[in-house]
Formats: sequence, C-alpha cells, structure tokens
Amino acid sequence: MTIILQQGINGVVLGSLYVLVALGLTLIYGVLVQINFAHADIVTLGAFSAYFFMHGVGGGYLASIGVSLIVGGALGWLMNTAIFAPLQGKGSELLPLIATIGVSVTMENAMLAWFGPIPYAFDSPYSNEVFRFGGTFITAQNALIVAVSAVTIGLLYAFMKFTFLGKALRAVAQDRETAGLMGINPNQLVMLTFVIASALAGMAGAMLGPVLVLTPFAGTSVIVKAFAIVIIGGFGNFEGAILAGLLVGLIESFTTQYLGPGMIDIVVFALLLMMLAIRPTGLIAEKREENV
Amino acid sequence: MSDAEPARLTPARLGLGPIGSRRLALLCAALTIAVLPLVFTDTYWRTNLIVCALNVMLAIGLDFVLGYAGQLNLGQSAFYGIGAYVSTLLITRLGVPFWPAFAGAVAFSCLAGVVLSLFAMRLRGHYLAIASLGFAVITYQILLNWISLTQGPLGIYAIPPPPPLTLPGLPAIDFHDLANLFYLVAGFALLSYLLVDQLIRSPIGETLTAIREDEVSAASLGMNCGAWKVFAFGVGAAVAGAAGGFYAGFVGTLVPDAFFITESFTILAMVVVGGMGTLIGPVCGAILLTLLPELLRGIGDLRLVVYGVAVTLVVLFIPGGIAEAARLALGRLGRSSRRGGAR
Repeated sequence: MTIILQQGINGVVLGSLYVLVALGLTLIYGVLVQINFAHADIVTLGAFSAYFFMHGVGGGYLASIGVSLIVGGALGWLMNTAIFAPLQGKGSELLPLIATIGVSVTMENAMLAWFGPIPYAFDSPYSNEVFRFGGTFITAQNALIVAVSAVTIGLLYAFMKFTFLGKALRAVAQDRETAGLMGINPNQLVMLTFVIASALAGMAGAMLGPVLVLTPFAGTSVIVKAFAIVIIGGFGNFEGAILAGLLVGLIESFTTQYLGPGMIDIVVFALLLMMLAIRPTGLIAEKREENV
Repeated sequence: MSDAEPARLTPARLGLGPIGSRRLALLCAALTIAVLPLVFTDTYWRTNLIVCALNVMLAIGLDFVLGYAGQLNLGQSAFYGIGAYVSTLLITRLGVPFWPAFAGAVAFSCLAGVVLSLFAMRLRGHYLAIASLGFAVITYQILLNWISLTQGPLGIYAIPPPPPLTLPGLPAIDFHDLANLFYLVAGFALLSYLLVDQLIRSPIGETLTAIREDEVSAASLGMNCGAWKVFAFGVGAAVAGAAGGFYAGFVGTLVPDAFFITESFTILAMVVVGGMGTLIGPVCGAILLTLLPELLRGIGDLRLVVYGVAVTLVVLFIPGGIAEAARLALGRLGRSSRRGGAR
C-alpha cells in the first residue's frame, strides 16, 4: 500500500511537469493547428539557462525559474517570428512541422557542441529537504514542482476562461476567420500563445533539471511523452492535456515499479496507438475532427 | 503540399522525360557507380560511398510515402532497424543463409509498414506524424530492452558481410572488399530507384499524387485511398528494410542507437533538402547530406547542425529543395541562351 501511495506521489510530480510541457503544445495546436517539434529544445534550453543562472551568475533557484520562464518566452517569440509566421498561408500543413524538426535538430546539436554530452549536476537547494508522512515521503523540490505547476495551470485556466484576451484566444482557436472579422487580430494572439506556451516549456525545464538528468537531450525524452499526452488528451484540448499528463506520469511511475524503466515508453506509446485506433479525438471528445 | 504543383516537378521537365534520355541517364548512373570505387580507393571514402548508397535507399523509400502519397512517416528509422535486426538474427540465431535472411528482412519490414499504415488509413497529417514517431520509439525501446533476443545496448558483434557471390565463368566476388560491397549496395539502390520510378510513372503514381493533393476528391473518384496508403507504406518500408539488411553486414556490429528516432529525422532531411515529390531530388539530398558532414569534419560537433540548418532554410526559402533549385537554374540558363541566340 505504501509503495502504491509513494509511486502515486512520484507519478503526480512527473505528471505535473509533463502537463506544463504538453499544455504549450496543445495551446499552439489550438490556435495554429501546428506542432512545434522544437518545443523540446525550449525545455532543454530553459533547464540550461536556469543552471547557468544558478551556477554561473550565482542566483537563487526560485529566481532561476523566472529566468528560464523569460528565456522560454523569448524563444517562443523567435520561433513564431522566424518559422511559423513566414510559413503561414503557404497552404501546406506539413512544411512548418518539417521546419520545426529542422530547428530542433539544429538546437539539439548546437547545445551538444557547446554543453557536451556529459550530464550536468543541477543541484536545487530543495532536493535534500524531505517531508515524511506515514511511510511515504516527498522532497521539497518535488513538492515545489507540484505546487508551481498547479498554480501556473490554475492561473492559465483562469486566464483562458475569464479574461478578454483568453476569450479572444479561444475564439481564434475555434474559428480564425470569424474571430478576425470580430476585430480580433489573430496574428497577435498567435504570438501571445507562442510566448505563453514556450514560457511554460522553459519553466518546466528549470524544474525538471534537478529531477531528471540534464543533458542536451533532456527535453527530447520529455517531448515524446508530451506528444503522446497531447494526442491522448485530444489535440488542442486544455482539460484533456491535464488529465492525460497526470495519467502518463502515473503510468510512468507504476511501470517503473512493476515492469521496469525500460517498459515506460513502450506502455505509453502502446496506449497512444490504442487511443488512435479506438478514440482518435482524445479522452475528452471535442468537435475538432478534421485531421482524423 | 498543395503549393508544390505536381506538374512543375515532373521528371520530364528535368530533362529525363523521353525514353531515350531515360536510358542514357540509367547508363550514366551505372557508369558513375562503376567508376566511383576506382576513383576513391581508400577505406574511408569507400565506406562513405556505401553509407551514401544506403541513405539513397532510405530516402527513396521515404520519398515514395511522403513525397508522392503525402503521408509524413517518421518511422523510417524503425523499418531500417527492423530490416537490420531481422536479417542478422535470422543469420546468427537460426543459421539462415544471407540471401533468404535478406528476403525475410525485407518481407518483415514491409509487414511492419503495412501494420503501421493500418493506423495511417484513419489518420492524416499531424496525427500520423506522431503515431509513426510513436512506432519508431516503441521499436527502438524493444530493440533496447528485449535483451535475450537483441542483446540490448551491448549490441551484436562480428556480423559477417554477405557471402561471396560466384557467377559461372567468373572469379568469386568477395564482399569483404568494400568496392564489391559498394557495387552490391549501389546496385540495389539503383534497383529501388528504377522500381519506384516505374511505380510513379504507372497510373499508381497518379493515384497516389491525387490522394496527396486532395483525399476527398480522390475518394469521390472511386479511388480506394486506404488501400493505396497501405501499399505506399509497404513499399517504403520494404526499401528501408533492404537497406537495413545490408547495413548489418556492412558495419559488422548492431546497436539499437543506430535506429533511434533521430535517424528518421536525418532521412527526412535528405528527402526535404533534395525535394519531396521528385525522385532524383532525394537521391541528391541523400548524397549531399551524407558527404557534407564528412567534408566539414574540421568544425567538430557543429557539423551535425548542418542537417538542421539545411532543412530549416530549404523549407523556408525553397520548399521544392535541390530539385526545384536546379529546375529554376536550368530554366534561367535556357532562357538566357535563347535570348543570346536571338541576338
């Protein structure tokens, strides 16, 4: 029982990180119907900028999360300006996807050249503090991850639901042309989405740096799961991504416990392929079916 | 891909149209293959030549699925790996001779392609891209974790090259010699080119292009889109499986890392840089992107950045790749020479 509870906690920690990454992907898909493969490298670069802010500049860990948030947002602005905006309206849905694969390969190998393949020891001051209750425990770092993720996701949800900009964003996601006719500038909102989505990715990087192994490939291992989450939750579906993210986190921790860590990707992607075969619209069905 | 008008990119416009010039092109290709190992005599360059030939096969296979049928398949690395592991395991575990094992590898990869395409029948665009990526991840993880079968990350060592080929009246052709191995692989690359070329010129090619351009219209004209997608995936995967069958005997060792998903991206880069939806383009793309990093060894780790930068720039500025760039350059040349003649 304790083991199940403990793995449940671990799963929620992992899941809340995945949700942060997957939400960005699903937000971008919502307004642009495009996938950003380079999202992974924004996560990695977020982790590295937090690392160098702490170990190079000597800043605090909480401040470094803020730094990676800003770095991520800036990268999102750059991605949209350089890749998605110029390719918009060229009529092909695959070209931007392929271009972001190109950007991802570029960034990954550039980071590999500059930072090297050897894992960095990213020490968070909260990693050694442990809260115990019953037979289970959670490190302060993991508690921080869950808390920051929950607050961020809550704020984002409130933003989408209750503010004018959030409503405009959802309007663009539903119908770009009509939203444009109502006086909303879709291009500005797409940019806003990119900045928010990438800021989330950068922040996720800063928080997973101390938990996972920090190498230039750190983001890639997270992003393949984020893709699975986005599909399991339903492309462009906010609530679906949260649910699926936590589900994949739990699957990962329980698979590690009972089947071995090598089985994680196999179980997650088998679930993905099953979902695609049975219910391609995702856990929470939506009316978006043009790609299925 | 609706902006890449298929009519503009037909091989006929590239000067390969009439039967006579096709035979000439084939002859030139065969001659080039024959001469190359004689020009490059050291092991290093001959090894690169074989890698080129393997990549050409992989690119042709992906181009058939992506460029003609319009399905973004990120699982090419998996078919490559399946081909390599199936042929090697048949040889080392069951003692099957090379050529039957090779045929088995091609058949098994083809089957894997068909299985993946059963998902592709219902999915398009982004969903298919992620599903095929998922397929590649699962295949890689199975190769890595099924240690009793594949020896996992330790790898399989000392895989022999294909056995000597004895043709009546000729001395045996030994494939320990890299030049002979190159002739073999390049011969198969040429064969796959001709096979896919024939398919594209047949009505099948037009059917696939129609599905790529507008699936609904194609279906309304009575085309069975699902079945043709299965066919395209099967052919693409079989070609990649054949490349895999040669890979194991050529490199001699087999580790799962050679078939990680980044390999799919590399193959995608070759097709995109060369020019999707043409056949000669991806061949050029494969050769260029194989040799370019070798020529850039001086800049160290950054040489792999070349792949990423090349793909990004090509998509942004010349979505038709090398093939389109060459067509534009030739067109300009033709126009200026005509103008010169008029004067």
